Amino acid sequence: MKDKLILNLVHRPEMVPEYAEKIMGHGEKENLEKEPLLKESLDIFKLQQQIAHEHGLKTTIQMTYASLFNEEAVALAKAHHAEYGDEIALTLLGLPSTAFRNKYKTKDFCIWMFSYEDKKRIVDDVFSLFFEKFGFYPQSTGSYYMDADLINYIKEKYPSVICAIATCWEEGPKAYHATNNSWYTFMDGGPWNPWIPSKINTHVPAENESEDSGIVAIPHLSRDLNACFDGNGSNFGTHPQNVLRGMAYKDGQYPYLFNLIDQYRHLGKFNDGYAYNMMFVGPGWMNKMGRWEQPYTLLEQSYKDGIAYYGKLKKEGKLIDLTMSEFAHYYRANKTYKTPEVALWQDILYGSEKQYFWYLDPYLRTCVDLNQGGALIDLRPYVAKLYLPVGIGTPRIVNASYPFLIQANYRAGYFTHYAGEGTLKSTKVSYEGEEIDLALCLTKATFSKKGDERYLHLDPIEVVFKRLTITIATTITFKEATGEIRYARRIIKSSDPHAKVTFNDYMTGAFGTTEYPEEMYHIRLRVNDAEKSQEIKYHYANRELTIHNGISEVIIPDIETRITMKSVGEYETYVREGYAFSPMYTLGVMKDLKQGEEIETWLKLEKAA
Amino acid sequence: MAQARKGRLNYRCPSCFMRDIDMDMFYDESKKEFYCLRCNYVGTEEDVIAKNEMAKFRYRNLLKRITFGDDDGH
Repeated sequence: MKDKLILNLVHRPEMVPEYAEKIMGHGEKENLEKEPLLKESLDIFKLQQQIAHEHGLKTTIQMTYASLFNEEAVALAKAHHAEYGDEIALTLLGLPSTAFRNKYKTKDFCIWMFSYEDKKRIVDDVFSLFFEKFGFYPQSTGSYYMDADLINYIKEKYPSVICAIATCWEEGPKAYHATNNSWYTFMDGGPWNPWIPSKINTHVPAENESEDSGIVAIPHLSRDLNACFDGNGSNFGTHPQNVLRGMAYKDGQYPYLFNLIDQYRHLGKFNDGYAYNMMFVGPGWMNKMGRWEQPYTLLEQSYKDGIAYYGKLKKEGKLIDLTMSEFAHYYRANKTYKTPEVALWQDILYGSEKQYFWYLDPYLRTCVDLNQGGALIDLRPYVAKLYLPVGIGTPRIVNASYPFLIQANYRAGYFTHYAGEGTLKSTKVSYEGEEIDLALCLTKATFSKKGDERYLHLDPIEVVFKRLTITIATTITFKEATGEIRYARRIIKSSDPHAKVTFNDYMTGAFGTTEYPEEMYHIRLRVNDAEKSQEIKYHYANRELTIHNGISEVIIPDIETRITMKSVGEYETYVREGYAFSPMYTLGVMKDLKQGEEIETWLKLEKAA
Repeated sequence: MAQARKGRLNYRCPSCFMRDIDMDMFYDESKKEFYCLRCNYVGTEEDVIAKNEMAKFRYRNLLKRITFGDDDGH
């Protein structure tokens, strides 16, 4: 399967599709049992299945709770399993139905938001009903998000489950804002491609067998790793109608969808030939009333075109369609716990030529922006392995996002406004009173790999001072499962080979899951060497500590994270406290360089004791 | 004046869309135009369609089919 795109194509017979009741029932009282609604829902599912089979693709049929009460839906699933090899699975989406509401006395429908007791009741209810209808328990399940406690319970009670849809990539505050602040899927910070979730936190890949939750997780859709970082995730994914939602089409043409699929195929170049796609279009996106301004004909055609493209790739020997459980077996046979997932991703829609490099392993997830000189614009400390229960009865009722240390769009990034700083890891260079942040240098990168290290080689950056011009080469190294990121920046050319330029490699951070600042009173900033340690207890006083050589350190007890920076040879390292109007912290390393010299820094994330 | 209803298609507000908000619009039968509940946009169906096209200004590669090579990044 190496060098082929692996496809998970998933359908669900959702008897009351999201959106459809609201659209079909405008001006009427809510009624989940309207005959036209039920009939249309099943018809859409049948159509999706027909299109897939016509193109020689097998599917994973995720039965919903409501569909288990529908004999025709159950019979269809059995027939398609027998004829086409489709997997019959069970989703925890699609709970809304009269039966569910009568039993649970609530309109809640997102499994991760229920209390833990209710999660268990619902899971037992749905799995029992599935067994009653099919005579076996499913191997695959899923929802938009599945918290670790939920996965652990399912795996313990129903060990047949080996695969689950477990998150929607970067569906957090952006999705909330895009829906006029009404869509409570706060689940930023997870992997964009399949992973084995840890028992402690779904977003965090398991580091070893003892942390292994026992399932392979897949994301809900394969999303654009550039467009979704800033824009609404539900506009830019392997979901034809999402592409229409984002208005990335003209005159019935949407090459963006195929570019997106092809870029996922291209990721095999960076991941030992492994490339993956997931398509999962809920029936509500293909209802006869149209979806927003798109008429039904376009909704249907876009689905046909998307599936036809996958079918063409399969015929050409470039794609393998697997069911979810088949994929889980493949994944476990071909990945180790610590194998990083990487993506050197280019903008394919806006014409900017911007490149992002995404990296994740069980210790961290990060994004390098090559349009900002190789600055880190997103950083998540997976190494903290945070236990963050979610749902009613917990402090995080709806917020399933994994916290960031850097999120350049939520917390300013390279700073262009009135006063303060933004979260970013970058390098400033200064000479004779001028200071340039390399975040203002446009560049691109190439990728290479050796052993357990991944390298990002940046095209050289030129910095022009009034009386000096230098060219800087940069290599960023990610050593798997260490929590370390190494930056090496070298002056390879200078208009004055003897001129000394000061390099300040810094990280300005915060913590949180949204745009709004958290209280930072618990943070400790330190500089240490073999003989002494100095500390600032964060109190928004803008203080600073510096030490010769040594290590700079930030401890954030709220998210059990320790960040350190160090270098080699002679250097200064420092920490700086923020202030109320700029609730950040900064740690950095400073060194003077002339032509031919290099500054190496190690940024390391650890779990704080 | 009778209550507003959805139009022929469920148009979103083009002004809100341009700031990444999906906001359904309603139809004012008396003025024959759509209006947004959140912002101050009003417009005929023709205007909505024209503004939706305008919203695509940022997609410079909207109709470009991209080929990904065998390279390691560039």
